[in-house]
Amino acid sequence: MRFIWQTALKDLRRHRSEPFGFIIWLGIPLVIGTLMVLASGGRGGVRPHAELLVVDGDNTLLSGALVSALSQDNFGGGIIQAEEVSIEEGLDRINDGDGSALLIIPPGFTSAILQEEPTTLNLIKNPAQRILPGIIEESVSIFVDLTWYVQRLFGDELRDIAEGPSEGGGTFEDLFVADLSVRINRMMSRVGDYLFPPIIKLDAGPAPDESTLDVEADSEDKVSVNFGTLFVPGLLIMSILFMCQSMSEDLWKERDGQTLRRVTATPRWAGSFLLGKILAAAILMFMVTLVALTLGFVYFRFHIETFPLAIIWTTFSGAVFVSGLMVIQLFVSSARAGNIVTMIIIFPLMMVGGSFFPFEAMPEGMAAIGRLTPNGWALEQMKAILFDRVEPASLARSFGALLIVGTGLFFLATSRLRRAAS
Amino acid sequence: MIEVEGFQKRYGDLVAVDDVSFTAAPGEIFGLLGPNGAGKSTTISCIAGLLTPSAGRIRLMGHDVTTEGPRSRESLGVVPQDLALYEDLSAWENLDYWGSAYGLRGAHLRNRVAEVLDRIGLADRAKEAVKKFSGGMKRRLNFGCALVHEPKTLLLDEPTVGVDPQSRVRLLDLVRAETEKGTCVLYTTHYMEEAENLCDRLAIIDHGKIIASGTLEELRAILGERDLVRLSGKFDTGRIGEALAPLDGVELVQADELTLTIASRQASTKLSALFEALSSIGSEINETTLTRPNLETLFIKLTGKELRE
Repeated sequence: MRFIWQTALKDLRRHRSEPFGFIIWLGIPLVIGTLMVLASGGRGGVRPHAELLVVDGDNTLLSGALVSALSQDNFGGGIIQAEEVSIEEGLDRINDGDGSALLIIPPGFTSAILQEEPTTLNLIKNPAQRILPGIIEESVSIFVDLTWYVQRLFGDELRDIAEGPSEGGGTFEDLFVADLSVRINRMMSRVGDYLFPPIIKLDAGPAPDESTLDVEADSEDKVSVNFGTLFVPGLLIMSILFMCQSMSEDLWKERDGQTLRRVTATPRWAGSFLLGKILAAAILMFMVTLVALTLGFVYFRFHIETFPLAIIWTTFSGAVFVSGLMVIQLFVSSARAGNIVTMIIIFPLMMVGGSFFPFEAMPEGMAAIGRLTPNGWALEQMKAILFDRVEPASLARSFGALLIVGTGLFFLATSRLRRAAS
Repeated sequence: MIEVEGFQKRYGDLVAVDDVSFTAAPGEIFGLLGPNGAGKSTTISCIAGLLTPSAGRIRLMGHDVTTEGPRSRESLGVVPQDLALYEDLSAWENLDYWGSAYGLRGAHLRNRVAEVLDRIGLADRAKEAVKKFSGGMKRRLNFGCALVHEPKTLLLDEPTVGVDPQSRVRLLDLVRAETEKGTCVLYTTHYMEEAENLCDRLAIIDHGKIIASGTLEELRAILGERDLVRLSGKFDTGRIGEALAPLDGVELVQADELTLTIASRQASTKLSALFEALSSIGSEINETTLTRPNLETLFIKLTGKELRE
């Protein structure tokens, strides 16, 4: 056990004398991330807009209210911009990929609400977009829920208003208005304790990949929607992969420097030497993850309480990655071959696995493939942890899978180490 | 103690080392001499546990290297031919790490590191990165890393290659100091004078087999105190035996069209007769070298070639 720690300490000291490598591991993803965030508007830049095309087939006060509510600044975080179109234009534009979604309000919508009859709002989402149509869908569903509650509470009053002034009169009678006001006021008094607070407020949720929105009380501290939040986890995994590649290549430095040969001539188990190297890599990955998440906290308001689990996950999965790359290094015939083979593996993995481009920006088929890659899978788990969507049982299974794979790779690497040294 | 009995190492059909046996006792320096590819490094790799013998038995301090690998290596120190150091670390950190690899810890480890640094003359550079050291200093540290755990057996694989004369003398003194403490040393080198001065017993290995072994005196006796005369020029190999037959005490060691090697007592007194005999069969002599008997001449006599070829 002590030799494992001594080996880790030795590697950390060696890396301390070469800080350039550490800067590269963090620097490349940071540069790429900064460029991506700047290109996408950044935190203070232009916010993304969901363009909602609305076909108002009902053309009543209530359907008009629905359209204006969806496009208000404080509903949907000001993301949705509604535009009224005809059914033909709406279908043409959505088929051309213009607009995030098409909402069709059917004729008789208001009447159905007032008469407590079933009615259907049709929402056609743009398949080329993933997040913004989801935001619209959630917003519309919230509005439907809201309408249902209003209908249950004030159904009679609304029907009275809809019937209009009594026959022969152009306006409502004073008695009618007073009676209506008193009824509404009494109802508000009865339900006020349930409605205020909470104030229903919509904010973009921190789970962009599933395009979900949260409706919850006082969510001032939620992670804001920003393309940076989509990129940071992927860039962190990119950083981890670069580190793993570099740390695995260190086996060749040990071999060429004859120190691997000297280690295998000691009484220590070869596996303890490898464990020490993996431990050193894990410590460095821990530090890099801490730095990256701290930047995420400062710049993108990541939730700090998710950090311990996210750091443990990233470090643990990084340790398994480095074990896998070490196996490759121990099977190839030269340092150059090791460099080429590992690069050939990790670059496509980074491209497909959500590091260069977030899954949310990929076509669904490609994203599905990306999520099956080792780094894509690790990335999805990390995002689930960071954005409060993780299920303990699922996470436990993931840790178990990592442990099994990591153990297999470690013993495979250990079995090759003595041969590589000689 | 190192005990090697009937050791063989095969790589498929290729037999790299065949039926090698020798014993090196505590307090003894045993030299293993041979040209490149003779099987020295393979033998050392198997003794160090880096390779598994195909046949035979190797024991270190009574422990079989195959069946008791870790136990046998506890008492073993290895000084590889190439530097095996972490150049980014300091001399102290290198010794500390290799000491910990042999289970040393705490105050004992610190004391041993300090002692070794003092012995190899690097105490004043202990905290400096090894990459700033000269070649000789690195060689001494390379040696020191094998000593930090006070091994009972030492394998030194050509430790003085590329070392300046001053560092070389210091290294050889360190080796002698180790044997005075009772350490058993297996030493390989290309430098014959180094082996003559340092080794108590020697084995000459070529093509994977030991062709001669014993003390320096025993090996010299094989040569019979005869000088070696090496001639270069043009020779008729078919008639050389006929030309040398009348010369008393002259033995043909090796002959080809361009070189000729002859062994003889007091060869300097027979040179004129030798030249005359060779001229009589039409030989042309361009260059003559006369060598007094030593390990080099023995090696040439046994193998027909120089050790560095």
